[in-house]
Amino acid sequence: MIDVQYAVVLGVLLFGVGLFGALRSTNAVRILMCIELMLNAVNLNFVAFARMLPQGSAAGQVFAIFVMAVAAAEAAVGLAIILQVVRQRGVAHVDRINLLKG
Amino acid sequence: MEWNLVLPELIVTGTGLGVLLLDLFLTGGGRRAAGYTGLAGLAAALVAALRLMPAAGRGELAGPFWQGMVVGDQFAVLFKVLFLAVGLVVLMLAVDFVERRRMPAGEFTALILFAVLGMMLMAGSRDLIVIYLGLETTAVASYVLAGLLRDDVRSGEAAIKYFLTGALASAVILFGMSLVFGGLGSTGLPNASALAEALAGAGPSAAPAVPSPLLLAVGLVLLVAGFGFKVALVPFHFWAPDAYEGAPTPVTAFFSVGPKAAAFAAILRVFAPFLVMVPVSGVEGKALALLPSIFAVLAVLTMTVGNLVALVQRNIKRMLAYSSIAHAGYILVGLAVATPRGLAAVTYYLLAYAAMNLGAFAVVIWLNNHGTGDEVDDYVGLSQRAPLAAAALVVAFISLIGIPPTAGFFGKFYLFMAAVEANMAWLAVLMVVNTAISVGYYYAVVRNMYLQPAAEPGARAAGPVPATPLVGTALSVTLVAVLALGLLFEPLARLAGLACGGL
Repeated sequence: MIDVQYAVVLGVLLFGVGLFGALRSTNAVRILMCIELMLNAVNLNFVAFARMLPQGSAAGQVFAIFVMAVAAAEAAVGLAIILQVVRQRGVAHVDRINLLKG
Repeated sequence: MEWNLVLPELIVTGTGLGVLLLDLFLTGGGRRAAGYTGLAGLAAALVAALRLMPAAGRGELAGPFWQGMVVGDQFAVLFKVLFLAVGLVVLMLAVDFVERRRMPAGEFTALILFAVLGMMLMAGSRDLIVIYLGLETTAVASYVLAGLLRDDVRSGEAAIKYFLTGALASAVILFGMSLVFGGLGSTGLPNASALAEALAGAGPSAAPAVPSPLLLAVGLVLLVAGFGFKVALVPFHFWAPDAYEGAPTPVTAFFSVGPKAAAFAAILRVFAPFLVMVPVSGVEGKALALLPSIFAVLAVLTMTVGNLVALVQRNIKRMLAYSSIAHAGYILVGLAVATPRGLAAVTYYLLAYAAMNLGAFAVVIWLNNHGTGDEVDDYVGLSQRAPLAAAALVVAFISLIGIPPTAGFFGKFYLFMAAVEANMAWLAVLMVVNTAISVGYYYAVVRNMYLQPAAEPGARAAGPVPATPLVGTALSVTLVAVLALGLLFEPLARLAGLACGGL
């Protein structure tokens, strides 16, 4: 059995890659993909911890399934919003969506 | 008993689904019926929640229901009442606006109802899974609400900014939750006494009850950052002014009060045990003891930056956005002092803030319905054109500044006392200084309304502005609440104290 530390380190790395990408990208769809990467890191953590813990192991796996379901809903709404903006503006780049100052 | 406990949630869910179905059969002016149905559902749920109050006060509902996924302590019921009242007022304010701006009435009503449902779930659980689901239910509905003005480019922009930062914040919160899960060993949150036992290793089981306090501490810090995004704390606030300015005004009113109060309820649920617990030895204990200091730094940053930037705003929605950031800073003072009284002050302030901020937005929506713009300059000479609206806005602003005998004053006073009692007088002083700064931007609007003569009659907006029954009722309710919450300070503060005592 693989130690839980390896899984958690991988989770942290994956989360870091996703966070870096989400903060650096300017394309809204790409930011969304990076956020999905962060959610995958979360799932990895949950499953790893669930395996490590003697009690309550089901809760971690259940949480991971909920995260997947909610992420799908979030992505659907997010893509719809991005699509609306692209229709209005013709761009999906957040640095060019700057009508509101700030 | 179990089903009674979730009756408000069930009513709201049922009404939301019913409105979506009903909307298929509504056309033209009949679309208002969707809004009325939503109002009826929220009112029924509010009655159901109020009926839970006595039993919750006696502690009969505290027992874990559905494996601890739902709790019915006084804290949960108090916040459910608040959220339902907020939903009711926002929907009353929105019906005319939605019709005038040709927004889809059925979707709007259903989304408000689902957002309120999510908020109730957040306050009514002690389990990370349900808190997360509530958070996301509210957030996903809010993203759509922000972009519901489909012919307005700024609304789309508000939606995309709100969505991207909100999704990022959710991911950070989730990562924090996964670490807390690893640290605690379960998704259920302990209350203060259980936590102290568990950290001391004196839990009922032989194994150490908290497998890894270090993971727990790191997870909690990530949760601070994630929730900081959600409630727009400086430095995680940059999305809020844009989202607030671009979103339809009733939705802005909702954002500034509803999801924000719900996120604070979740913060109280998650962090209260760690804030008021007995100190633990060792490096992990030191890490956990840092939490109040983190909140103190965030409080100072948030109120100062929020107030200073609000001074230079020309758009009233944007100004109220920065004002709401500043108020989140005041609320954080109660968390930074980390005493039971501080937590009670947070709860009372959330009630007061909801009433006064909705009052201010009610006036903005009222005027906007009659063609007055959202710029501060559009309010020039308002006291002559719409004396009632001007007077109502003054009352709301007096409370937002914190002048007696309004709820805002008592809220600030309570936070101030909590800070002084906890030997954090410097934080209390900073709060007072910030309140003085805030007078500047509120007074700028009042000066425009009363002291500046209208440049030329009807230059910017024409004619008197009669209030429609719904907007008038909503505004009266909020203003009465602003005064009543102030006058009923003693019993409400006691209630808030009892509610937070069970955390």
